[in-house]
Amino acid sequence: MPYKIAVILDKSRIERIRGTPVENEVKDLYGGYLKVIELTVPDEIAQRILKEFPRARIDARGFIEETPVVFKRELFEVIVQLKSTGPEVFSELLKPNRLSRIKEAAAKEDEYLPPPNVAYCG
Amino acid sequence: MSLKIQTPPPHGGKLVDLVIRDTDKAVNMAAGAVGFDIRPTRSAIDGSPIRNVYREVMSIAYGFFSPLEGFMTRNETESVLKERRLLSGWLFPFPIIFDVTEDELRKLNVKEGDRLLLRLKGQPFAILDIEEVWRFDPRDIADRTFGTPEKNPEVVRRRFDEKHPGWLIYRSMGGVALAGKVHVINEPIFKDPYNRFWYPPAKSREEIQRRGWRTVIAHQTRNVPHTGHEHLMKNAAFMGDIEPCHGILVNAIIGAKRLGDFVDEAILEGHEAVSKYGYISPKRHMVTMTLWDMRYGNPLESLLHGIVRQNMGCTHHMFGRDHAAVGDYYDPYSTQILWERGIPSFGLPAPPYDLDKGLKIRPVNIKEFWYCPKCGEIAYSDTCGHADVAQRFSGSFIRGLIAEGIEPPPIIFRPEVYRVIVKWWRVYNYPFVNRRYLELKERELEVDLKPMEVSSRR
Repeated sequence: MPYKIAVILDKSRIERIRGTPVENEVKDLYGGYLKVIELTVPDEIAQRILKEFPRARIDARGFIEETPVVFKRELFEVIVQLKSTGPEVFSELLKPNRLSRIKEAAAKEDEYLPPPNVAYCG
Repeated sequence: MSLKIQTPPPHGGKLVDLVIRDTDKAVNMAAGAVGFDIRPTRSAIDGSPIRNVYREVMSIAYGFFSPLEGFMTRNETESVLKERRLLSGWLFPFPIIFDVTEDELRKLNVKEGDRLLLRLKGQPFAILDIEEVWRFDPRDIADRTFGTPEKNPEVVRRRFDEKHPGWLIYRSMGGVALAGKVHVINEPIFKDPYNRFWYPPAKSREEIQRRGWRTVIAHQTRNVPHTGHEHLMKNAAFMGDIEPCHGILVNAIIGAKRLGDFVDEAILEGHEAVSKYGYISPKRHMVTMTLWDMRYGNPLESLLHGIVRQNMGCTHHMFGRDHAAVGDYYDPYSTQILWERGIPSFGLPAPPYDLDKGLKIRPVNIKEFWYCPKCGEIAYSDTCGHADVAQRFSGSFIRGLIAEGIEPPPIIFRPEVYRVIVKWWRVYNYPFVNRRYLELKERELEVDLKPMEVSSRR
């Protein structure tokens, strides 16, 4: 069964895909408050992602979630590089060199994630 | 008969209170007892702290688990595993076991009739009067606690394993049980922010009365609330009697949680922010907590939640999809199945409110709320006819958004609630439970203890 994975687009990411075929695939979420690209993930790729990243899981919507931040960041980089959201994105993303770089960075994420710069209104 | 609903009696008829508040009496009770320093249950897989039995001692002694008065004997455990009932006949879902290893038992050299002084953070904390010493196979207890697809086909979808945090707690126990009644002899002092949310059942009932609430609906949480949770709370509260429920009592489960869940401090203060900033009026909303290392047992956990919140004085309990669940071990609507028709294979042939010595709290089974782009609003899944385009709320999607450093839009997350997450993120350098947080939490706990001089053995 195919699953999905979503990449959230902030302003800078939207700029980077502007004018490419990927721009036509941008989807509004929650009344347009969020922009995302949704990729279809074939079952065997989904199982591979779950195996490589033990914390990743399929949520109630059938989306792969709780992957490391660096995984999503690299996924976006590959989308920009290939100007595509097709299955070739995952072939590139899961190449041994790229994957081991992602896993190395992901291991550090378990200990530290930089907090965003917002004020506490307590 | 009046249609107006009144506060239900405690489960079992009377609130358990096993807290000794007179210091002289406490010191006398502890004198000569054999000392034992409470230590965490560590994961049999990676050694992380996944439970501290002090939380169970507290929940028993302060009456959250009424009518349970202590750690279970072999017969009581068997009764719970077979038909989810204590030996007194009252419903209860989980074995509550004080476990040690063979090595610890040998060093303690205790037997039936002995008294154990439980120390926490080096100070006297509680006593356990040993009624029985019995042995068990942790894996067997773990399997029988949660069920299997073969034996419990109504709700169990796949076999439990070490990836399930509740199963792992039982699997990681020491194999020797010390059963018997407990008393807290040195009341722990809660640290900030936990002290603001500590409402044991007797105090919770007093507070409900003080606020003039006749009907109160409980909301279970192990999460910082997104607006899907908020809609669940607001809409479920419409189910009262002649008017909507007067109060919404949020009860957060505080204890060791699975990696990736939000930290406890953010859960409590995140819910507090919902009423502090008026998204639900503080006149109708109160945030409380229960100490318990979650077992993530979906329908069984919901039964425990029903007991705890009935003891706290709630008249209703809302139950959503995937209640207290992790992964796909149970059917996502297992809790609804329990509260609608029962789960015979767990010894529950009817819903808990239709069983002898069952519960008096009323379930409000709710499916889910989603964002419908066609309706242009957050809609109830059984009411909205646009399931094909509906955008569901997903806690893991929101956690992913937060981890990427993106502020969730207000339609799915209140900005003030998000700022609470960031506050605790700065404290721990991480927004979610990780191994370092689990170790720190285990070392610090939610409480401190005053020094107490006791002449114990060892």
